[in-house]
Amino acid sequence: MIKRATLIWMFLATAAGIGLFVLKYEVKSMEGQLPTIHSKTLENLEAVHVLKAEWSYLNQPERLEDLGRRLLNLEPVKATQTIDIENIPFRPVGGSENNPNLTKVHPPAVDQTPPLFAYIRRKQ
Amino acid sequence: MIGRQPLFPKKRRREPPVPPRVETGRSRLLITGALFSVAFLVVTGRLIGVTMFVEKSQPQYSRTVGKPALTTGRADIVDRNGNLLATSLKTASLFANPRIMLNAREAVNKLATVLPELNRRQTYEKLTQDRSFIWLKRHLTPRQKYEVNKLGIPGLDFRDEERRVYPSAALASHILGHTDIDNRGLAGVERHFDQQLRKNPTPLKLSIDVRVQHAMRKELAAAVREFRGVGAAGIVMDVRNGEVVSIVSLPDFDPNLPSDIESDTRFNRATLGVYEMGSTFKIFTTAMALDAGRVSMRDGYDATHPIRISRFVIRDYHAKRRWLSIPEIFMYSSNIGTVKMALDVGVAEQRAFLQKVGILHPPPVEISEIGAPLIPGRWREINAMTISFGHGLSVSPMQLVAGVGAMVNGGIYHAPTFLKKPPHSRSTGHRVISAKTSERIRRLLRLVVAKGTGRKAAAEGYLVGGKTGTAEKVVGRRYKKKALMSSFIGAFPMNAPRYVVFAMIDEPSGTKKTFGYATGGWVAAPVVGKVIARIGPILGVRAVDEKAPEIEREMAIDIVTQKEGKRRLASF
Repeated sequence: MIKRATLIWMFLATAAGIGLFVLKYEVKSMEGQLPTIHSKTLENLEAVHVLKAEWSYLNQPERLEDLGRRLLNLEPVKATQTIDIENIPFRPVGGSENNPNLTKVHPPAVDQTPPLFAYIRRKQ
Repeated sequence: MIGRQPLFPKKRRREPPVPPRVETGRSRLLITGALFSVAFLVVTGRLIGVTMFVEKSQPQYSRTVGKPALTTGRADIVDRNGNLLATSLKTASLFANPRIMLNAREAVNKLATVLPELNRRQTYEKLTQDRSFIWLKRHLTPRQKYEVNKLGIPGLDFRDEERRVYPSAALASHILGHTDIDNRGLAGVERHFDQQLRKNPTPLKLSIDVRVQHAMRKELAAAVREFRGVGAAGIVMDVRNGEVVSIVSLPDFDPNLPSDIESDTRFNRATLGVYEMGSTFKIFTTAMALDAGRVSMRDGYDATHPIRISRFVIRDYHAKRRWLSIPEIFMYSSNIGTVKMALDVGVAEQRAFLQKVGILHPPPVEISEIGAPLIPGRWREINAMTISFGHGLSVSPMQLVAGVGAMVNGGIYHAPTFLKKPPHSRSTGHRVISAKTSERIRRLLRLVVAKGTGRKAAAEGYLVGGKTGTAEKVVGRRYKKKALMSSFIGAFPMNAPRYVVFAMIDEPSGTKKTFGYATGGWVAAPVVGKVIARIGPILGVRAVDEKAPEIEREMAIDIVTQKEGKRRLASF
């Protein structure tokens, strides 16, 4: 006669076996995915690397100065435009909302700088 | 089971008496059972241990594969704020295997459609050689690679290579240097740190600030254009730790194209070129005399007559023909007064002093293009006399800047460096003059900009001080008349100096605006003034009210105009 306890143990053993089997296959398939993910990560890292170079190429001070002057009407800061923080007066009540300068809309910037690779090729 | 207390007394009645053999069998069973339980317990324990806790000896797949990391053959170079100055990008290089090439002529014709810059005859010769590997073109862009692939010519293939890219082009060309096609450093920090850049992937952080570099380069270029000079040099150095924030030499080059660099643009005027600096050396002579206690600010010398020694005559450019006090000698840049001051201190002392402030040995900066100073073989009285006003001794601008930094920062000499020092790092400088002397030199330098030859270097709010220098260029063994080296060395703010700023224009010609003058005060001083006005806000130097009484008091100088006469308190 099979006791109830034996039944329970047999059931548990089978369940553990099936569970282990499933888990093992899951791990195997994940291990299979890992190299793909790694190579994709590497691709993205390389892309980020190129973008960083591009970013610093586009951020050359000379270019920013030119864009600032032409498109935003900006000038280098002068010493007379700086003030110590303790000398800044408190804003009068109802201050900046009425300032017409703050609502002025500038036209979108148009940029003619060629992409980095095009720049290098053109120089060649 | 003998002697065991019955758990359930009711059952006992039903049980028959136990025979002794069964008793023995039971106790054997018990021992065996106990052994098995122990064994199973061990197995269970081990199972729990293996499944629930990670052990070191256990191989872990994800760990053995490791995290993907981007490795380049050469580390990046960044500026002091982390802006990329040099990096290595992957490119494809085209090579051919002529042995498996089917039709070389057709291949050349096809290639010419996508790579028009290839020389057809040379390429044909390459493709008909009996070799299995030959480069056709290095470093193609991704688009070129795609187009070549589309041609589908057998025997052509690509190899991944790296190409050094300098996104800011010529901005910091002389300090960065460049690499050859195989990414070996050939100049600048690329050469000095060649091994480190190959081995250590962490970016190399320079002390350069690209914004300051840009301001200096732009203003110098404008001055070279305006005065039709042949070149220029400029340096900005932090006087508190010797960090070089900007170093420019013009003309410069684009390090992205090392094969196109012309040899005259390679020359680094700021560190490799050595020049007679002229009157800027009077800063050292005056500091030396004041520090040695030979003269006080109220003393002076008779500058009525030029000095004649052997075949030389030493004159004053802005001659006053009278007795001059020390501040006047400095302000009017009197050669006669300075020579007398130097002779009062002594020839050997002068040499020792210049040795201390780094004038007699090459500066220990981290690039390969460093010029050794030209020092007279025998340091005689005549040498001491000319050296006192900056002739007969050639130094690089870098040496001058480092030396003047020590004169204004309170008297500590810091060796100049192109690498950013870690924050709060201990200063490695050594004292060369007393703080008191340094403070007097600051007042004198401010005087030159407020009232003397350096007025054009003023930058409202930044309390600029400095000294002009104009020297005739030495060509061969003679002075070349009309060919000048016009320079200005300044520092700001003069009440607590933060930066030394130097500008030098090579062979400027005067213009109508400068009344034909091409001296340091007319040519280089405005550059320094404009650069300081631009970089002051960038470097976070607090602007001051130059007319504020406490500032005027700090910069005030007693100027004695007659030997035993009455004194005039000048408040600038």
